Amino acid sequence: MMVVDVIFYAFAAVTTLAAIGVVSSRNQVHSVLFLILTFFSTAALFVLLEAEFLAALLVMVYMGAVAVLFLFVVMMLDMDVSDLKAQAINHLPLGLAVGAVILLELVVVLSHSHAHVAAASTVPNTLAIGRTLYTQYLYPFELASLILLVALIGAVVLTLRERKKVMRRQVISQQIARTRSEAVELVQRKPGEGA
Amino acid sequence: MLENYFPILLLLAVALATAVVMMAGSFLVGPKRNYAEKVAQYECGFAPLSRVRLPFDVRFYLLSILFVVFDIEAAFLFPWAVAFKDIGLTGLVEMLLFLMVLLVGYAYIWKKGALEWE
Amino acid sequence: MTELNQLIQNQGLALLGPQWWPLVWTLVWTLIKIILLITPVMILVSYYTLAERKVIGYMQVRYGPNRAGFWGILQPFADAIKLFCKETLIPQGAKRAVFFLAPALTLVPALLMWAVIPFSPELILADINVGILYVLAISSIGVYGVLMSGWSSNSRFAFLGSMRSAGQMISYEVSLGFTLIPVILLSGSLSLKDIVNAQQDMWNIIPLLPMFVIYFISGVAETNRSPFDLPEAEAELVAGYFTDYSAMSFGLFFLGEYANMILVCFLGSLMFLGGWLPPIGLLSFIPGIVWLAIKAGFLMFVFLWIRATFPRYRYDQLMRLGWKIFLPISLTWVFLTAVGLHLFGKV
Repeated sequence: MMVVDVIFYAFAAVTTLAAIGVVSSRNQVHSVLFLILTFFSTAALFVLLEAEFLAALLVMVYMGAVAVLFLFVVMMLDMDVSDLKAQAINHLPLGLAVGAVILLELVVVLSHSHAHVAAASTVPNTLAIGRTLYTQYLYPFELASLILLVALIGAVVLTLRERKKVMRRQVISQQIARTRSEAVELVQRKPGEGA
Repeated sequence: MLENYFPILLLLAVALATAVVMMAGSFLVGPKRNYAEKVAQYECGFAPLSRVRLPFDVRFYLLSILFVVFDIEAAFLFPWAVAFKDIGLTGLVEMLLFLMVLLVGYAYIWKKGALEWE
Repeated sequence: MTELNQLIQNQGLALLGPQWWPLVWTLVWTLIKIILLITPVMILVSYYTLAERKVIGYMQVRYGPNRAGFWGILQPFADAIKLFCKETLIPQGAKRAVFFLAPALTLVPALLMWAVIPFSPELILADINVGILYVLAISSIGVYGVLMSGWSSNSRFAFLGSMRSAGQMISYEVSLGFTLIPVILLSGSLSLKDIVNAQQDMWNIIPLLPMFVIYFISGVAETNRSPFDLPEAEAELVAGYFTDYSAMSFGLFFLGEYANMILVCFLGSLMFLGGWLPPIGLLSFIPGIVWLAIKAGFLMFVFLWIRATFPRYRYDQLMRLGWKIFLPISLTWVFLTAVGLHLFGKV
């Protein structure tokens, strides 16, 4: 159908241009914003492939969480780009190697897979994913929990410094548990006797 | 299925247009009488002493990592919940296992005080 | 009506030919539907601001706005015109592109979410399979408006406010996400229509009362409303992330925030209060959309009631509530619901 094609090419163009924007803009915050646009238009491409669940997840997890993390870091660090520019050359070989590997993977995957992935026809694809992920791919699913566990622990180990001077930590239960008798003392004093 | 998404695409366009028209219209209609003091950054009347970007508070970073992890966890729960009637006891047990592993992590970050703010 | 439709179809076919006409017709018809959706939402938003000032006014034994028109009925229009005619200030050192993108990025997601809200079994703009996940996904984009405005205005009040606000939003999004899971478990579908239809026998609020409470409080926190309106704690951060905004770019933040609040109420009524279903079968002669409006209206009132009642939370208390109380409770309830569903076939 023609309309779908037009929409596809529009979003594909946005995706590509935004991806170029990610690597070419000088301001890191702009880079992250371009990245967000890339995620969004990729999600639209997923919808065009009728993979609506994946599209929603892409928006929720990548746009809603991962990119927020990037943005937090980039906004707060306020780095100087010129320093990084100089170092960038040193990392070029490594970057090229990684790029080559990804390209190779893409070629392999694309040449082996069917050109048209059959969209889940009658069953909504969330249900289809649920049915296969939790039966056929049970083992990888459980492994995913371990990866998430590592991520949790790693985040804490890397970022949390023990603060010794700590802080008025509030224990709400203690506050509420106080009774009138232990908190307030009523004293009767005659005028002139008070201290 | 795609025809259900067409209204959303159109709504996106309409919403963007609304936002742009409202801001641009207001920009054109409103007066433009600004001077240095008026556009100076808001600082209760005196000149700012330091740069705006504050030292990086690592807590926000930690917070957003925790958010990513729990968001992914939720992402796993959605198809599970949809397909629960089909996968039954197996699904229940494996999700219990999945959550147990993450519970360990949750207990760890709680114990470490990563959830404390002062 | 059918004759009119027939007439339009015939004329259109004659005018544009069979190749283009269906396309144009779909486009026009969808646009009409969108306008029929957006206009009431916008009117609702503007009158919600009036309702807020009135309700809180009466709760504090004041009148609230009562000059513009009878009983202040024209106040929203007066506000809109005033905002529209103000000067758009661009603070010194602001990053202009991002500065103006931020308010748009607040309003657009707020409007986009309404696409999948069913007002009755037929009245829905885009009936997609992943309805509720779509709402959650789009709502998570809202955080960018906050972050970008804080970063681009080159003011420390705005920056601090946006950091806090974003931290708060993502924290409560976690518990918000988990409260949806039991609802989905009960209906076995992500479509909001199926979720309402699954409540024919019993509204979800009965088995899932704690989830409803957590959902609603998280919704209040997610929309940065009092008592969780710390990001704009006026005593310390002036107006939070939109300190430096003026005129309609400020207005867009306002519209977005209120549209989100109303959406939280509608979504809450759909997921937990049976949506358009009447409380007892006897009352089914009243149209479904009226029931939905009554339920959502009640929740909207509670929003205001909360604001007039509770003092503001402190940031550490807020984080504690989200991560240490809501998160474990909602996860436990997810599991209890699943166990119940497995043992009894239904809860």
